Amino acid sequence: MSLRSSANPAADAPLVETRLVYAHGVAAIVTLLIAVTFGILASLELLIPDLAGNPAWLSWGRLRYDHTQGILFGWLGNAFFAFLYHAVPLLTGRRVTSARLGRWLFGLWNFAVVAPGWVLVLAGFSQPLEWAEFPVVIDVFVVLALVLAIIQFLPPFFWRGLEDLYVSSWYIIGALIFTLLAYPMGNFVPELVPGARGAAFSGLWIHDAVGLYVTPLALAILYFVIPAATRRPIFSHFLSMLGFWLLFFLYPLNGTHHYIFSVIPMNAQIGAITASALLGVDVILVVTNLLLSLRGSGFFPRDVGLRFVAMSTVFYLIVSIQGSIQAQMAVNQAIHFSDWVIGHSHLAMLGFATFAAAGGLAHVWQRIPWARYNARAFDWAYWLLFAGVILMVTDLTIAGIVEARLWQSAAPWLDSVRAARPYWIVRSGSAIPVAAGFIALLLGLTTGPRGAGLQAVEKTIGLEPVQEIAPRLAPVASEAS
Amino acid sequence: MSGGRFLRMSYVVASVCGVLFFAMSVALLGIWPGRVLEDETRRMSPPHPLGLSTSEQRGRAIYGREGCAYCHTQQIRYLHADMARFGAPTLAWETRFDYPHLWGTRRIGPDLSREGANRSQDWQLSHLYAPRALVKDSVMPAYPSLFDGSPDRPRQEARDLVAYLGSLGRARELAGPEGEAHARAGCNCPNDEMAQMAFHGPLDASPARALGQGAVPKLSAAGNLDRGRELYAHNCSGCHGSRGEADGPGAAGLHPKPTNLAGHEYTVDRLSTVLWNGIAGTAMPGWRDLPGNDLASIAQAVRTLHTPQQEPTLPQGILDLGAKVYAANCTQCHGDHGGGDGSAVGELAIPPADFRGGRPSVAESLRALRNGVEGTKMAPWTGRLSEAELTAVAYYVRSLFPEAQ
Repeated sequence: MSLRSSANPAADAPLVETRLVYAHGVAAIVTLLIAVTFGILASLELLIPDLAGNPAWLSWGRLRYDHTQGILFGWLGNAFFAFLYHAVPLLTGRRVTSARLGRWLFGLWNFAVVAPGWVLVLAGFSQPLEWAEFPVVIDVFVVLALVLAIIQFLPPFFWRGLEDLYVSSWYIIGALIFTLLAYPMGNFVPELVPGARGAAFSGLWIHDAVGLYVTPLALAILYFVIPAATRRPIFSHFLSMLGFWLLFFLYPLNGTHHYIFSVIPMNAQIGAITASALLGVDVILVVTNLLLSLRGSGFFPRDVGLRFVAMSTVFYLIVSIQGSIQAQMAVNQAIHFSDWVIGHSHLAMLGFATFAAAGGLAHVWQRIPWARYNARAFDWAYWLLFAGVILMVTDLTIAGIVEARLWQSAAPWLDSVRAARPYWIVRSGSAIPVAAGFIALLLGLTTGPRGAGLQAVEKTIGLEPVQEIAPRLAPVASEAS
Repeated sequence: MSGGRFLRMSYVVASVCGVLFFAMSVALLGIWPGRVLEDETRRMSPPHPLGLSTSEQRGRAIYGREGCAYCHTQQIRYLHADMARFGAPTLAWETRFDYPHLWGTRRIGPDLSREGANRSQDWQLSHLYAPRALVKDSVMPAYPSLFDGSPDRPRQEARDLVAYLGSLGRARELAGPEGEAHARAGCNCPNDEMAQMAFHGPLDASPARALGQGAVPKLSAAGNLDRGRELYAHNCSGCHGSRGEADGPGAAGLHPKPTNLAGHEYTVDRLSTVLWNGIAGTAMPGWRDLPGNDLASIAQAVRTLHTPQQEPTLPQGILDLGAKVYAANCTQCHGDHGGGDGSAVGELAIPPADFRGGRPSVAESLRALRNGVEGTKMAPWTGRLSEAELTAVAYYVRSLFPEAQ
């Protein structure tokens, strides 16, 4: 069956499980607001440490755990699922495996992973491993959910046949399979392998969480939304595939760059540093391809989904080049352990990944005919987040340099804490536009007239039925055949 | 198989490659380094390094649960900046008991790899209970839930956590110079400049660690008083109190109590020694991370906390009685001339008062004689000395201060 033959409204209607898109979209934004609240509280506790009166469950460490795990699983996980329920059927011309399975996956992800994970961490059950702070019992459900996600989303690709897969499909397949493989490296292995040896495995997952889970799914969104919203094919499918394979080759080899100048063998460190440098080259390839595909749309495209995605592309370039630089020994020895790295991770998760996820959500929301859609709120969300990210990342980067300089000097340790304070105040201040942006995002998804999304599409890129967008995502070669 | 079909099957090749990429990353950055580290541990570890007690293991779990590793690393890098602040770089064998590792990737507070001997237990407990009571500008979370309402009443969890903190860096310290030599021989890396860094410099470089002895710089007697008062307010007043009356918010949980600075008159030399070395066995840390002129300023500020009072003219009989009582009872610890250097000093965990470096007020002197000094070997003397004798010796020790003579 060719994709074009599905281009009649009757066949299209049941293809995308819009209710699952909707459920995950709302869950994403709700968990996002909760995770951001944890983050804001943690940032305020650095300014006023006794703010919350020091009950154990509101202590800084536990809030910090819940903040990042909430972003990783709650916000990005749900946003990615919402996107997958939209994209996988359009990319394959087939439904996902089962709507019932979808309801189980939704329940498992939100009510067996995110919610109990949060509660357990606050109650004092966790593991002190980065990007793996939910306790081991939760990890079991994560693995189960990842297996269910594979069962849910991958069969349509195999039924369709894997020839001439569009690059988004590759990223989706890669992300789901390799996240499942990488997850135990950071969550189980360090509990069984001690000290420095365990840290080597931890390093793998710290980078794989970003490199094999967040990045591929975010890129799947960028590669999907750009052609769908610009109504032009991607600039180069060759570059797409080159970028994809280089990414899956290089990302996993980055892990040890979190432990430079440690006792972990220098050859492993040098390998990871080299891979980090090459990764920047790969990202330049990927981003060049994406930006050339975006040409003519302007720096701030009128379609808000595309606008988020375009900015995500730019953030992706900046954060990756920054990553390549900060992995180099001369830079790393100074800025490692400082707020520079916190700025970097916010540029990655709040800049690149969140803008991709928000762009993906806006894009799929526009195409749910019965969903409410508030274009003005989305506009506000974009500009508030744009301002917030830039303020926060700039501020934390400077803070990191200030801290690094003091650490290299003979100044007492506490001087670096005192010097960071003004920057921490600005960082907490940057949470105002960020949180306001997320509230606007929530309003964008839940207020406004039903079906206003399609009107927004009509206004910005011309109304086009959802099913007509799909064929444009297929590689050029398949159109010729 | 036709070329076209082969091309279409290329995704199979690609998928196999993809899995291999991942397997390669695990092999190169996980399994292989693990092997090397395991081998290194076998070669360099002392044969029976001291692991963690049950209480320390429980403390470790609390450390993990509260996210301590997200502000305090436990990994000193092979970098001079790290070594100057914290000490010798972390060796693989030192981490052999760490399930899971607590290396951390962010330092808001200092690295704790060698924290064990840096601070006294009472300091750690008080600091966990209310960090800003002791370290005014700290941003560390307080953990009152580990206590029953006061730093003096730690619950099991607080004791476990402090026990764990006390274990940090212990195994390598206990291994001693022989352990270092063994590790160096096991490393067998005379030409590896970086690996050699692990064996250079002090094991623990923390400026807070109290030293028994140390080359103490002579501080200038002319510090900047305003600067000194500012530094005192930020660094000292938490325990010693804003007027030096040992009534700071951090004083409550400390044993012995912080010194009443207002009740003593100090020589600059004595203050130099205490500021530089700290007082071993007590919560008084060293302040070697402050520049010399700042230390001089603090000394200056401390000296002004004491208000000189009109000295009574004492009948010679009282001083004679005091000298007799002192010679009979006090010299073993406090020394013949009151320098805190008696023959028993080596057996005392906490050094006895040095009357030549600090002159207590009569009230301070009498209080110590009557009540003893909690947490030290100084016992109350009320049962053994008459009131006249107590008074006499209280005055006598004041006369030992060189500037009084």
